[in-house]
Amino acid sequence: MISPFTSLLFAAAIGGVLLLFFWPDSGLFWKWKRGLASTRRILVEDALKHLHDQEYHGYTTTLSSLSGALTINRDEAAKLMARLQSIGLVKTIGDGFELTPDGRKDALRMVRIHRLWEKYLADETGVAAIEWHKRAEKLEHHMTRQEAEALAVTMGNPTYDPHGDPIPTASGKLPPRKGCQLTDLDVDEVARIVHIEDEPAAIYAQLVAAGLNPGMQVRLLEKSPQRLQFIANGEEIVLAPVVAANVTVQRLPKEAETNGSFATLCALGVGEKGEVVAISPNCRGQQRRRIMDLGVIPGTVISMEMTSASGDPIAYNIRGAVIALRKSQADMIQIKRVEEAVEK
Amino acid sequence: MTTTSASQSCAACPAHNLSNLKKLGVNMTSWDYVIALAGNPNTGKSTVFNALTGLRQHTGNWPGKTVVRAEGGFQYGGSRYKIVDLPGTYSLLSTSTDEDIARNFILFGQPDVTVIVLDASRLERNLNLTLQVLEITDRALICLNLMDESRRHQLHVNERALARELGVPVVPTSARHGEGIPELLQAIYEVASGQAVCKPHRIAARSKELQAAIQRIATNVEARFPGLTNARWVALRLLEGDPRIIEAVRTGELAELVTSKPETEAMPKAAA
Amino acid sequence: MNEAATVNSDILEEAASLRWEIGDNMHDSLIESIYEDAAKIADKVVTKIGEKPRFNWETTLDKLLTSRIFGFPLMVVMLTLVFWITISGANVPSGMLASVLIDQFHPMLKSLAATVGLPWWLDGLLIDGMYLAMAWVISVMLPPMAIFFPLFTLLEDFGYLPRVAFNLDNMFRRVGAHGKQSLSMTMGFGCNAAGVIATRVIDSPRERLIAIITNNFALCNGRWPTQILIATVFIGALAPAALSGLVSAVAVVSIALLGIFLTFLTSWALSRTMLKGEVSSFSLELPPYRPPRILQTLYTSLIDRTIIVLWRAIVFAVPSGIAIWLLSNIQISGNSLAEHIINFMDTFGLFIGLNGVILLAYILAIPANEIVIPTILMLTVLSAKMAGVGDGAGVMFELDDLSATMTVFQAGGWTLLTAVNLMLFSLIHNPCSTTIYTIYKETGSVKWTTLASLLPVVMGLVICFVVAQVWRLLF
Repeated sequence: MISPFTSLLFAAAIGGVLLLFFWPDSGLFWKWKRGLASTRRILVEDALKHLHDQEYHGYTTTLSSLSGALTINRDEAAKLMARLQSIGLVKTIGDGFELTPDGRKDALRMVRIHRLWEKYLADETGVAAIEWHKRAEKLEHHMTRQEAEALAVTMGNPTYDPHGDPIPTASGKLPPRKGCQLTDLDVDEVARIVHIEDEPAAIYAQLVAAGLNPGMQVRLLEKSPQRLQFIANGEEIVLAPVVAANVTVQRLPKEAETNGSFATLCALGVGEKGEVVAISPNCRGQQRRRIMDLGVIPGTVISMEMTSASGDPIAYNIRGAVIALRKSQADMIQIKRVEEAVEK
Repeated sequence: MTTTSASQSCAACPAHNLSNLKKLGVNMTSWDYVIALAGNPNTGKSTVFNALTGLRQHTGNWPGKTVVRAEGGFQYGGSRYKIVDLPGTYSLLSTSTDEDIARNFILFGQPDVTVIVLDASRLERNLNLTLQVLEITDRALICLNLMDESRRHQLHVNERALARELGVPVVPTSARHGEGIPELLQAIYEVASGQAVCKPHRIAARSKELQAAIQRIATNVEARFPGLTNARWVALRLLEGDPRIIEAVRTGELAELVTSKPETEAMPKAAA
Repeated sequence: MNEAATVNSDILEEAASLRWEIGDNMHDSLIESIYEDAAKIADKVVTKIGEKPRFNWETTLDKLLTSRIFGFPLMVVMLTLVFWITISGANVPSGMLASVLIDQFHPMLKSLAATVGLPWWLDGLLIDGMYLAMAWVISVMLPPMAIFFPLFTLLEDFGYLPRVAFNLDNMFRRVGAHGKQSLSMTMGFGCNAAGVIATRVIDSPRERLIAIITNNFALCNGRWPTQILIATVFIGALAPAALSGLVSAVAVVSIALLGIFLTFLTSWALSRTMLKGEVSSFSLELPPYRPPRILQTLYTSLIDRTIIVLWRAIVFAVPSGIAIWLLSNIQISGNSLAEHIINFMDTFGLFIGLNGVILLAYILAIPANEIVIPTILMLTVLSAKMAGVGDGAGVMFELDDLSATMTVFQAGGWTLLTAVNLMLFSLIHNPCSTTIYTIYKETGSVKWTTLASLLPVVMGLVICFVVAQVWRLLF
């Protein structure tokens, strides 16, 4: 019989090789499988998306904008455009390019899949905000139309992605852009964030770090060429104008502002009560719906009943039922304390 | 409008006592009426189901026990009833399997009566689901269960006022002890046979934008499917992007809900 | 119809474009409106008669059961009590059932068959194969389940189980799973098939799959007897007589604890690889305590759980009884088919610290773990060509006497390593066919069913291999 030592060594070697090949995502097998997917198709799809993006924002696509967006050189960009033109998806206009109706249809389909993925990653998985766009960029190329529709159905046919961009319908409709840049606001104006641009990634990372999300209310405090100071959901934030320009907002009447900063449900001690003021926009998708279905809506008075033996889920009395929530969830429910009336 | 009158008159009436009830268990071949049983988790829905059918479905003190749809039958006053216990849910607005099953059965299964089981001691949270069910169907009645617990909690629920507010009959019960079951049977019979006409409460959407959008779609839906009693709800679901309702509008399946008198043989492919 | 479809689609288009205008917070605003109405109505119809809506004993009990100091100890005591009652309480009826079904009824059937004049192969196939497999499953499985399920159901009806999930959620959260998995796991100690069904209370699909796949690591009733027997015969014997009972009990409990550890480990690995993600939505209602109705509970848990699970087990055990009998009675060139297979697998089996008999027994016992020990004994006697033990080829048996059992094992060439690895492999191998079938019914997916079946058996083989090699290095 083989000596135990050699066999252990053998087994370790085999295990190592298997791990090397099949380690999730970075394993060689998966890399090889991804490599098989035609890179040419990916380039075409990315080019269509770029053309659409430019058009939606009112710019023309040029070879240099394309080579910049896809990180390819100008020769490759020119070849790509020639190919797209030959299959009738793109036409030249002046010294730029424009989508043909067929090309627009394909582009919108790509945009739809991309935004559905972002929505899915944001709502149904615990992937961090900064990863949404990057992952969606990869995932979108590996999906058939049917799979995309199935994905939409599981999420209840969403209309907006987590950045606040509208998701085109399956038949390729998209509403026109609305709102203005955050930098366009005047001091003391109140507005709601409707969109946060996720490219370039470095700027997006700053916006994520500042905790900004579509749906939040902002009020501008101070504006200078160097910095922009404003309040978002009770917190003061300072951004450079070039960063703030990536936030699109919609002006609101002044009285709509909800003011003050809030405690969260986590802050309650046993027996203490709080009235729900808002649910954080970070609480998304199914989770948000579930929490609201349980009766957690602005105005609900919630009292803290007990913590579990291990400290984490905390049980709250919500409209008559005792419901346990994890701290991470309770932290997304903003409250103001309710002083106990002369009970007891 | 008959509301809770049954509970008073029937207690004394020998014709309507429990001896009239024949529990059929699952041995059902044909039936006159289909009844759906809806309600929040942990309100004693399964206990009510068992009290009516004589089945012993397991009724754990654990929210969300009935995950699959349970069916049973009973005979009362000469008619045969098939009763479907829907999964207990907090709401009908989300996209979970339970809610899809419950929602689609109440709409496409066209039950003759939807019995909504409420926990009397926690009325407010239970009304969330109730109001949603009443948007879908106008053939509903309330089974105000766990009256014993609400008494224990020193709460008094005025069932007549509740019936008036909701526009459907309300029967207080305490199914664990068999209290109120005869009255519940009578009320089911009255609604199923059309003797009691319901005029259910409808939700007023708070946001004007939403209200206007619902109105616009509902008008179109009504024009396309005349006679549909819940056009507003259909509009709402369309605005929520419910794939099942979109499908029903696209294929015109919705029209069948108007024309066909409950053809109960056709079971919906709930949450297929 | 076509025309209708095109006409109707304009409604859909309109709805779709209105959805953009309303924006993303439609659900929020809708549910707020509903609750506003609900609150108004509730205000009108509910009156508080007295103040003091809280019931003291309930709050006190909740405080106690979820307290940081007493919460876990109370839980451990409660669950240990349930298992202890199950195991010790099942011994007597199990023995009685075995003596009636196997010791008395089986010979009666045999003599009846002899008087009727059944051909030997039909008699063997029907009575030694089918009947005995069924009898073993019933006598080993029925009593513990008939005790465990009602006890469990009583705790459930009373409202204690949600508190267990509440207390344990933190640990499950750390491995990316759902607190309610603690319940399906506990249920799995009774029966994995029932545990898999119990995962229905977990409403998010990802966490539910984790709970289903890892349920097999909860040591089920069918496997306890194997553990206890092997621990007593081999490990208890190592200690001085006075301590042997304790030592073997510790060994069995360690195996069960290893199972819990593997549950967490596998959940953690799954939630980081194939089933990646965070808990999507966690909410757990802690219902008010309700006094359980004992008689009805006994009835429903017997009907709902015990009988159904037992029935499925019998349905699967009968064919395996036939297979066992056929394998040990079909002769090819002087040896039975079983011996050929055993010889074939022996090298590999011994290499990973088991042997060919155990591997064959586990293949044959996929339908029901209850018959592992009788099959192993029978096959060992068969392959070691022992005379005077057992009832012949293909007839499963057990011995009342521990030393007689030991003699059989020694004749089969067993060592302490074989025993340890058998205990490990009994914990970590594929689920029984009843459970596999249940997993398929619950998930509706061949992929996940395959994973749930193969993952543990691969893990078991690897662990046995490593243990065997390290053992040989050390001793």
